Amino acid sequence: MNARRWGALTRRELLKLLRNPAAIVTSLMLPILYLVLFGQGFNFTSSLSYLPPNERTAALNALLLGAPNYFSYFAAGMVGFVGVTATLFVGANVIFDKLFGTLKRTAASPATATDIFGARLVAGSLQPVGLAFLVLGLAILLGHVGLSGLQPSIGVTVVGAVEIVLSILLLSLMFASLFLALGFTIDQPQTYFALVNAINLPVLLTSAALYPWGAMPTWLQNVASYNPVTLTVEVIRINLFGGTFYPQPALVYLGGLIAWAVAMFAIATLLVRRALAPKV
Amino acid sequence: MTDTIIAEGLTRVFNGTVRAVDGISFSVHDGEVFGFLGPNGAGKTTTLSMLTAVLGLTAGRATVDGLDVREHPHDLKQRIGLVFQESTADQDLTGRENLVLAAALFGVPLRDTPKRVDDLLGRLALADSADRLVKTYSGGMRRRLELAVGIIHSPHVLFLDEPTLGLDPQGRAGFWKIIGELRKDTGMTVFLTTHYLDEADGMCDRIAIIDHGKIVATGTPSELKDRLGGDVVTVRPLGGDRAALETALKALPGVTSVSPQDGTFRVKCPSGETLIPRIVGAATNLGISLGGVSLRRPSLDEVFLEFTGREFREDEGPTATDRAVFMSRFQDARRGRR
Repeated sequence: MNARRWGALTRRELLKLLRNPAAIVTSLMLPILYLVLFGQGFNFTSSLSYLPPNERTAALNALLLGAPNYFSYFAAGMVGFVGVTATLFVGANVIFDKLFGTLKRTAASPATATDIFGARLVAGSLQPVGLAFLVLGLAILLGHVGLSGLQPSIGVTVVGAVEIVLSILLLSLMFASLFLALGFTIDQPQTYFALVNAINLPVLLTSAALYPWGAMPTWLQNVASYNPVTLTVEVIRINLFGGTFYPQPALVYLGGLIAWAVAMFAIATLLVRRALAPKV
Repeated sequence: MTDTIIAEGLTRVFNGTVRAVDGISFSVHDGEVFGFLGPNGAGKTTTLSMLTAVLGLTAGRATVDGLDVREHPHDLKQRIGLVFQESTADQDLTGRENLVLAAALFGVPLRDTPKRVDDLLGRLALADSADRLVKTYSGGMRRRLELAVGIIHSPHVLFLDEPTLGLDPQGRAGFWKIIGELRKDTGMTVFLTTHYLDEADGMCDRIAIIDHGKIVATGTPSELKDRLGGDVVTVRPLGGDRAALETALKALPGVTSVSPQDGTFRVKCPSGETLIPRIVGAATNLGISLGGVSLRRPSLDEVFLEFTGREFREDEGPTATDRAVFMSRFQDARRGRR
């Protein structure tokens, strides 16, 4: 990898991103809609108020693993899910660069596949971290405008903040690798978006981002335990609501995310190198 | 004279059956403008893509600037400039940002980059629009920017793939003026593909005519025209004894050859103007009416006709290669792969 080429290509990606606010808004649209509609409408914890306080707390802990209410639990899930929604466009951009000839120019230059892939990966992974904090801020702000809002139960430490950032970064790296691999391999935008939709929703629905953990059937808990979105939101929830009800410390979940990210990066590297090699 | 580009038995087969480039060999001398002339689908861009390490070779060997294209694709890309037929600049960046990016990709020293970028923007008349997004550029401006990107690193060899496609005559003239100046200043070798006969005639030191993946003639424009043996008179009889007419035409003084073609006779001679009255006279003597007699001076159009047996048309329908490549891409797209 050549640092100057890699840096120039990363700068290009970031410049394009800044000049395309529509992509940022679209990336945020799904998590925001979930927060202001689904999260508000489904905030069922007030319906448990008939229970005596100690039974209510026990029920909430069993369902939400230490989160004070469903919205807070759910909002933490949406913060993590941004790592998926905000990386969707990295692959689409590759396809559009193919259609407009820009990728042809870059591939005909001395830039290596590693330079080209690495630059897009870095730019595509950094963006979701910023956006996740926007969603986090919005989730907290909602509580100050008469709606349900995110209420952290514990003070977030510096280490906790770093763990949150790392978890989102790793999830973004994983999904940016996946979507880049698709983008470099597929030529048609329609095919790409159909595949992305086929990945996006099942990933969300088999994770613990939406469902109260204690209400999930065991088989779904088992599936969700290995879902990278679950691993991310567990790191976020442990650092916002405490880790008492989690079987593992946040570092273990981070380890799982690293394994996912490395595996997906390796697969994507192979596919991208193959796609950018001179056609034999 | 050293050869900057050497191709030996260069072959590219698509889908295992379509020979887009079929064992061609040629060399390009250092500092010359070498034109690859042929109709759409003849194999021009495929050849250029192999020489620039964009496309792999099915068979054969090629060296560019001393580097084997198969063994040293990375070093090769560093040394050559490439101007595609379509605009490949990033439309969401400004002209200047595109050039700065290209400078980084091609390894122009960081300290030299601002001056080099400014020089090129000025030279290619893009200075006033340097900080505008490329999506606002006209077709001519995009072509000039494409050229600037291609030569940002002062390459020793410049490949131009149909560089003036879609430009108006004024834009084409302006483009070639810039190439001429660059060549004068730097002495770079230029490999050009075109299907504009006038461009090949006016700009190239030597030309290879390619048709159906094979080179059918190579030489300077003058040499190729000289091979025609002078003027060509096309005679269109409206019936009668064609064999007798052919014999009579061959017997006329000054006629060097007569070849039947698509219901006409192509008669070569040193001076067509003086021959025409004799041709009309010979036909009249045989009682044959003529539908037309036309005179063509030696031109690359005639050269193309001479070597390929058909008229050069700038916009022919899809060839077998075009169709095979299209179907391959269509099938790949359906399978969701590149």
